[in-house]
Amino acid sequence: MPSGGLLFQSIILGLLLGGLYALLAAGLTLYFGIMRVVMIAHSAFLILAAYLAWWSHERLGVDPLLSMIVTVPLFFGAGVLLQRMLLSRLRPITLTMMSVLLTFAIALIIEGLLGYAFTGTQRRIQLGYGSASFGLFGARIAVVKLIAFGLAVVALAALYLLMKKTTFGWALRATIQHRDAARLVGIDTEKVAGYGFGLGLATAAIGGTALSLDTTIYPSLHWHWIGPLMAIIVVGGLGSVPGAAAAAVLLGLMQSLLQIPMGTTWAQTIFYLALFATLAFRPQGFFGGRLAQRF
Amino acid sequence: MPSVSRKVLTGAGLVLLAAAVLSFPSLAPNPYILSAGIVVLNYAVLSTSWNFVGGFTGYISLGHGALAGLGGYGTALLVTKAGLPSFVALAVAALLVALLAVPIGLAALRVRGASFVIVSIALVLILLLVFQSWASFTGGSRGLVVPRPFPGLLRPEHHRVFFYLFAALLALALLVWWVIDRSRFGLGLKAVREDEDKAEALGTPTFAYKLIVFVISAGFTALAGGLYALWFGDLDPVFQFSILTGSYLVLMALLGGVRNLFGPLAGALIVGVALEYFKGQFGNTPLHLVATGLLLGLVVMFMPDGVLPAIGSLFRRFGKSEQSSIREVTAAELQEERKREEVKQ
Repeated sequence: MPSGGLLFQSIILGLLLGGLYALLAAGLTLYFGIMRVVMIAHSAFLILAAYLAWWSHERLGVDPLLSMIVTVPLFFGAGVLLQRMLLSRLRPITLTMMSVLLTFAIALIIEGLLGYAFTGTQRRIQLGYGSASFGLFGARIAVVKLIAFGLAVVALAALYLLMKKTTFGWALRATIQHRDAARLVGIDTEKVAGYGFGLGLATAAIGGTALSLDTTIYPSLHWHWIGPLMAIIVVGGLGSVPGAAAAAVLLGLMQSLLQIPMGTTWAQTIFYLALFATLAFRPQGFFGGRLAQRF
Repeated sequence: MPSVSRKVLTGAGLVLLAAAVLSFPSLAPNPYILSAGIVVLNYAVLSTSWNFVGGFTGYISLGHGALAGLGGYGTALLVTKAGLPSFVALAVAALLVALLAVPIGLAALRVRGASFVIVSIALVLILLLVFQSWASFTGGSRGLVVPRPFPGLLRPEHHRVFFYLFAALLALALLVWWVIDRSRFGLGLKAVREDEDKAEALGTPTFAYKLIVFVISAGFTALAGGLYALWFGDLDPVFQFSILTGSYLVLMALLGGVRNLFGPLAGALIVGVALEYFKGQFGNTPLHLVATGLLLGLVVMFMPDGVLPAIGSLFRRFGKSEQSSIREVTAAELQEERKREEVKQ
């Protein structure tokens, strides 16, 4: 039986990790909700943002958090272009399948270019506050983990407000719920879908920066992320943002707790177990997920 | 009569293809070219096996690399740990993978489209994790050496024997695909591809059909993987359980044309040769990833039906029109046709 302190520490770390997972998975549910697109390249863009943060710190001497001033608008634009130039040109009837392959191709291209530009060497940001931590009822919490969690909370709250309080959010939700009906009331669904995609990639820019603070990065790292993120959106019910957030926190917590008896590598299997259990018992997902049934 | 001339043409093409494949070992200038030929043949078997699921049902699996890896590791472990003779181990391993494909298929095929692809990716990732971490059993990242089935043979002779073995496996896979293509079973599978709900409503046992064809596909994939293990002699989880392998298979099948018996074979020839060439040119730089990605993206955007159908339609345009009363159209083509008619009215 692990000591109470260790348990408490794991719970705190699990919650922090879950918050980050929720941010990363939010983008995926957006794409799926808007266009029924499973975006394999999301985690590749995540690593790209992490590399840009590392590069700006290493070469320009700028705090990695400041790199978001450039990467967030850049990724938003890339998302809009990606949707308008490529995804919207696929045949609607095979869209889901072909979009998987297309985004897979984009992920390969990003991984290859990252490897070419930065080599396969593992990189890590050395920050002044990188090793700082503080105690909380006996648990030690690294400052960078708290910053990453804070970024996730701020980004998700902003996303929530945008979706609920603005005209654009209203149009985006209408497009997700019923595309044809949205068009009937005069919403330019094509344009909205493009901006929705941009929004998804913008979350990847924030998530990647948060990731870069605390992880060693290398070009093929995105394969390690795509599995857990896919598991999260399936467990949460494809297309449901609150479902994904709940699943992310829950699975992050379970992963962190399982690390005590099983070690880091085997604890990752919880994501795949949850994925297969979801498909076997409740294919539409355990939280929300009205859309998932047919996909 | 057009149908007779077509049959003659097909027959002649088959004989030519078989002759080209069988004479390749004698024509190959050096053992390296011969071994590259084996790699391409291996890809051809794998993508033809992939096409049992992808071509008939339209379910796209990015996880077939994992099934091939399981076949390879299964064969290797049965030889090294259980002491079975090489080809008995190969058959047993293929059978075991086919059995394992039943529960995997039960979970994966319950969901459609996107979720299926996610599961297939998860399959590769979880197996990579297990085979890397369970080092006491699988050798982990140090790799696993497979004893050669013919220890007396010299290297070029060894290549030549395996070239013919792969050719035989390819012929078998093509034959089974062709038989299914003409059967009622195949018709049911194609109905799943075009409109699963309607097929179900018409009484096709869609789930059973999908599961059976998935198991057949897994069996052939495992055979190819196991044969590769016996030939290559050295296994590493990073290469055996790689998403890239799965994506190569999809790329080959799509490029050649998934509705075509010889589509995956044609795709494997094009992509396989290109891959070997990239490897020679760029060595281990990550640019081969960029090249693969670009190629896959271009195929998806501009040639989703494949090269063979594109060439076929080119011939039809120039040749005399040969309209029969029943032809195969995809649901997508049908939709576009209807849209065009609506515009006319």
